[in-house]
Amino acid sequence: MANFLAIAIVLNIIESAIPVIPVPGAKLGFANVVTLIVLYVYSFKDASLLTIARVILVSLLTGKLLGPVFYMSMSGAILSILAMGFFKKTNFFGVLGVSVLGSVFHCIGQIIGGYFVIGSTAIVLYLPIMLFLSIPAGVVTGIITQRFLKIWQTWNRDLI
Amino acid sequence: MMQASKQKKRDLILVGLLFILLGGAFLMFRLLAFRDDAALANIYYGTSSDPIVTIDFTKQKITRHHDQSLPDGISESYPIIDEEQRTITLLGDYTINGVRQIVVISYDYGRRSVQIIEEKSPNNICSREGESTGFPLICLPNRIRVEFVTDQGDFTV
Repeated sequence: MANFLAIAIVLNIIESAIPVIPVPGAKLGFANVVTLIVLYVYSFKDASLLTIARVILVSLLTGKLLGPVFYMSMSGAILSILAMGFFKKTNFFGVLGVSVLGSVFHCIGQIIGGYFVIGSTAIVLYLPIMLFLSIPAGVVTGIITQRFLKIWQTWNRDLI
Repeated sequence: MMQASKQKKRDLILVGLLFILLGGAFLMFRLLAFRDDAALANIYYGTSSDPIVTIDFTKQKITRHHDQSLPDGISESYPIIDEEQRTITLLGDYTINGVRQIVVISYDYGRRSVQIIEEKSPNNICSREGESTGFPLICLPNRIRVEFVTDQGDFTV
């Protein structure tokens, strides 16, 4: 678990340092790959703890703890993990679907957090573009997770 | 195995549906929102819903409502309004080595637009947004925002 947390933190920091996508502020959310893996390999509880710990530690490392961006990351992360936990439990969707839904709910959570940070509903106007971009982001993280889980399963089979 | 292939199918349907739904919503929003000219632009700081400065594009006038509330120890008072250069300077929340950084906003009466021309933040989202005539400009790490008002009737002084 500690290894997973470390990987998630590193991914999170590296990702925010390189502007991969031309749209300012938008990220793929590679750290969410780790959350998804832990959600599928371990449990919802572990995945939630890992995600919250990641958000706190990353903001601590980058010196943004309790800043405006921190609240947005936190509310996004919480809503996203709750959504992913719920949709995984229903078993209706696979990893890809759960990942995309997590990504969509992450945006909604961020906007809710942002509303409290600036006290204005104007931020809701950013939602259309964010939600639209969240789909490809969710698909990419979902595919990476799927591939990882496949390899993980073969490993485990070999070990037993 | 059966379950997995079913899930896979549902996943693809979900992604397709979301893509159409959210893509459509985004396009509609792009095409339909902010077609009217803005009458006013209000500049806010923090969570306050009281504008600090109002830019009136119709009357070509700047109204300074009150000073930006800042903690003791900052000697200058903000906003600094420069009517010649057409800029308004506020103090943002983002700090570098403990020093709060300024946010410089420029406005244009003719084009009824506002642009954030100088600001310090990790991603510079609000200054990269460029010139805006309706879309709100939000500097999140600085907690400074510009919102436009189209209908004069909505605004009471």
